Formats: sequence, structure tokens, C-alpha cells
Amino acid sequence: MRTRLFVLIIMAFALVSCTHDRNDPGRAYFPDMAYSNAYESYSVNPVFKDGKTMQAPVEGTVPREMIPYPYKRVFEDQQKAAETLVNPMKADKETLEKGKEEFDVFCAVCHGFKGKGDGHLYTAKLFAAKPSDLTASFTQEKPDGEIYHIMTVGSLSGLMGAHGSQISPENRWKIVTYIKNNFKVK
Amino acid sequence: MKNRFTIIPVFFLFTFFFTFNLNAQNTAPAEWATCGACHTIGKGRLVGPDLKGITELKDEAWLISFIKSSQTMVKNGDAEAVKIFDEYKIPMPDNNLTDDQIKGILAYIKNYKEAPKEEPKKEGKAVGPSESKGDEGSGSMKTHEVTYGAGNTRTVFIVFLLLFFFSLIDLGLTKIIKAKFIHYIIILTSLFIIGEIVYVEAAALGRQQGYSPDQPINFSHKVHAGQNQIDCQYCHTGINDSRHAGIPSTNVCMNCHNVVKSGTQTGETEINKIYDSWENKKPIEWVQVHNLPDYVYFNHAQHVNAGKRECTECHGNVEEMDRIVQVNDLSMGWCIECHRTTKVQFEENDYYKSFVELHEKIKSGEKGVITVEDIGGTDCSACHY
Repeated sequence: MRTRLFVLIIMAFALVSCTHDRNDPGRAYFPDMAYSNAYESYSVNPVFKDGKTMQAPVEGTVPREMIPYPYKRVFEDQQKAAETLVNPMKADKETLEKGKEEFDVFCAVCHGFKGKGDGHLYTAKLFAAKPSDLTASFTQEKPDGEIYHIMTVGSLSGLMGAHGSQISPENRWKIVTYIKNNFKVK
Repeated sequence: MKNRFTIIPVFFLFTFFFTFNLNAQNTAPAEWATCGACHTIGKGRLVGPDLKGITELKDEAWLISFIKSSQTMVKNGDAEAVKIFDEYKIPMPDNNLTDDQIKGILAYIKNYKEAPKEEPKKEGKAVGPSESKGDEGSGSMKTHEVTYGAGNTRTVFIVFLLLFFFSLIDLGLTKIIKAKFIHYIIILTSLFIIGEIVYVEAAALGRQQGYSPDQPINFSHKVHAGQNQIDCQYCHTGINDSRHAGIPSTNVCMNCHNVVKSGTQTGETEINKIYDSWENKKPIEWVQVHNLPDYVYFNHAQHVNAGKRECTECHGNVEEMDRIVQVNDLSMGWCIECHRTTKVQFEENDYYKSFVELHEKIKSGEKGVITVEDIGGTDCSACHY
């Protein structure tokens, strides 16, 4: 009797286990402290109305040590940015190296590794609009602040998106320095 | 008779347009690529005005000087130029073109004939003439199937379990098969196979190797990271500075998909989900594939920035995956294995100056290379705290 029960238990176990469904993360064995009790950054949160755990700061508040970017994606603001913003970076080796690194990640897909506006997305006809040639006087004659502004909020034409959320302000200035120093036609 | 002759060329034109309308509508001059980024001909206002019929509205000399340098005209107070600029508030970049090149573009605009409707497009969503590339609607995405473990492990397990018990019963009670060594062979092999399956399955408990869940959007890394050659960091911006690589928010998708409105594999269905998220401010609920238990600490910045690891070392060839799959088991043994074998840049590194004992060992030749283990990479509290 006991053996038969034992067999049944084993068979039952065999039937429920070992499913290799790619949608199923599988089972865990004594998952003590394996799953967070707190809501994680990206998890759904029933406490908030919009269901997000990561909440934006309350409107009008400013995080410590952060200076909110004052300009919007309109022509007047772009001119103001060009006049007021000053590039804090010096064109030393370290800055240019980091600038190149960041440029290659965020800009080169469209503008090309040499800045000629011949990035892979455009030459492979995946992105319909022609990106600006950064070596041309159109870009090179812009003040640093204007290039920084376009990177942060996007171009006026709306074809280049805002990259402010992806690149830190420091790195944006480094990219500006890199564009101005390395793509200049001598 | 007369009718027939007109029908044939028209028909020919239609087929011509149908096959070549994507690239060469009325053979656009090469310079049109720059214009087409912001202007359409008869498809409505884009960044700048619709250029349909512009050659009749304005005279050629005015157009040429405007195209060459619109801002100069605005500054000089040309009434019409100022009016356009005040309406659009976006300065048109100067174009370094010759008069003949501009005349070529104007002739193209003048003679532009609309192609027969290829597909119904939503109003105001059409962008540029060379948009909507590739073979859309080629059906569902090709899936990246991985064969981790046999799918029919369960059947094999049951069969051998039954074999095991039948031969055990036959050996002691029923005695159908006379030769006893057959029983022993069957019992031993089935025990071995059952043991193997139990071992493998037990070890896989709590791990998710081969986990490849359906995502809310059929996003393909093969297209984005592979074919489009977009750097991992473009979307997963956190890898250099943060514990988490980060999942991009919808605005990152929109950097390209404000222009790219049709995919090569799924057409518009999947990309429309981005617009739904964007317009309704609704986050996309991606399913996390690589789950580490909460009792272990892992930091992307440490591994990518300081450790100089490549993404593919842990995540596999993401560039070839349509749907992300967990390639490695992310077990502790797997972590430790790498910590034991990975070399650390120990010398000429200020960070490790204080490791006096190890430096002496290197000098005396007792130690050749320093691995992560030597600097505490296998201490319990390195990851569990």
C-alpha cells in the first residue's frame, strides 16, 4: 500500500513538472527573499492612479542639485539658448574621447561616425529624412549652446528627437565639444 | 480605336509607378532628399509647407534666392519671406546649390504626378516620398526558437518510470521474462535516466534558462540592434552609470518612430502600439526576462564600466534574436565561474594600490594574474548583503 502511494505521488509530480513553456519562468525551490515585497521601479503599482511605481516629481518641484532646462522646442528659445548657454568643457583629450564615445553611441546611427550626415539608418534607407551634415558650416557656425539645445529638446523640424532624457548634461556638452573640434573642416 | 491607344500608355505608366514608386517617383533629383525631409508635394504640411503648385504661386527668381538662403531674405525684410517665416517659425536651412540644381528641383515639383494609391494611409501621417520601405506585411515575426532541454522530458520520464516499476514487479512477482539480467539492465538504465532528469530539472528550479516570454510589442532586437546597428546603450542608457541597464521609455522609441511609421516585418500593427502608448501616456508593460532573485545584488555599471564586459557575454547574441531569450542560466555557479577566470587590470591601476600583499606576491612571482576572485569577487558579501 505504501509503495503504491509512493508511486502515485511520484507520477503526479512527474505530470505537473518539467513543462518547457517559453512563456513560463518556471518554478522556484524555497524562494525565500527571492521576490521583492516592495514594488520595484518598473513594476505595476496599484497604489497610484496611473499604475506606475516610478512617479514623476510633483509638478513645479525641482530635485536638489538639478537645474531644470529652461528652454522649449521653439525658434525663440533656440535663439535664447544660443545666446545664453556657455559650454563649460575644455577641449582636452579626456573630453574629446568621452565626446567621441557618446557621439558614436547616440549620434552616429543617423549623422555617421564622421558626422557627414551619412549614418547607417539614412544610407540603408531606413530613416527617410536626411540628417544634417555636422561638418558643414550650417552646424559648425552655430554657437555651442544652440547645438546643446537641439540635442536636449530636439530639432525645430521635429525630425531629430529630444535626447535630453538619454544623455547627461555633462556628456551633451562633451559631444558638442567633440563635434566642434573634430568635424571642423580646416 | 483611339481609346485603346491611350489606355495602353496609361496602363504602362501605372505599372511603372507601381513598381518604382518607392524610390523613383518621376525620377527625383538627388538634391530632393534634403527637401523631402521637411516638404511634401501634395501630401500636406509637414515641417515646412506643402510644395504642390509652388512654381505657379511664386516666380522662379524669388524661389531660387529663398532656397539658397531664406534667412538672408527674412533679414533683408522681404515681405513674403517674413510672412512665411512668421507662420512656420522654423528657419529653412541654407542650401549650397547652383541655380541649375534648384531649377531641376523646381521642374521636378512642377511635373510631379501623384502615384496611384499604394495603400490607404492615415491622414497627416505620411512622411516623405521615400518612406515605407521593405516588404511589409510579411506576416508574423520569425521566432528565435531555442532548444534548451527536450520538450518531451516528461514523456521520457514517465516511460522510464513505468519501465522501472514493471521490471521490478516482473522480477519479484509475475516473472514473465525468464532471463533475470534483462531486468537488471532495464532497472539500471531507467534509474540512470530518471536520476539524470531529476537532477537536471531540480537544478533548473528557480532558474529561467530558455525563458522567452511574449512581449506586449513584438519588438525585434534583430532588426534594431542587428540590421539597424543601433548601439545597445542608445536605448539602455543606464549601463555605464547605474545598477540597472534600464528599459527605454516611449519617448526614446519616438526619436526614430516619429518618422519610421512602418516596420519591415510587421508593417504598422506593432509600431501603432508605440503611438497608442505615446498619445495616451500609457507605459508599455514589457515583461522582464532576466530575473535575478532579490537576495543577490547585481550592478550593470560595475560590470560594463569597470569590468569592461560586453553585453553579449551574459545576454547572448541579442543582435540575432527577434524575441529576447535568456541564454545563460544566471546561476550562482555561472557567476562564480566568471569571477574565477576573469582577469583584473591590477597593475597601473590606482584603484588597487592598497592591495599591498597581492602586489608583493606578483613581484615575488608567486602570482601571475589577478582574477576577480583574488580581490574578493567570490566573497559571500560581495553579492549577498
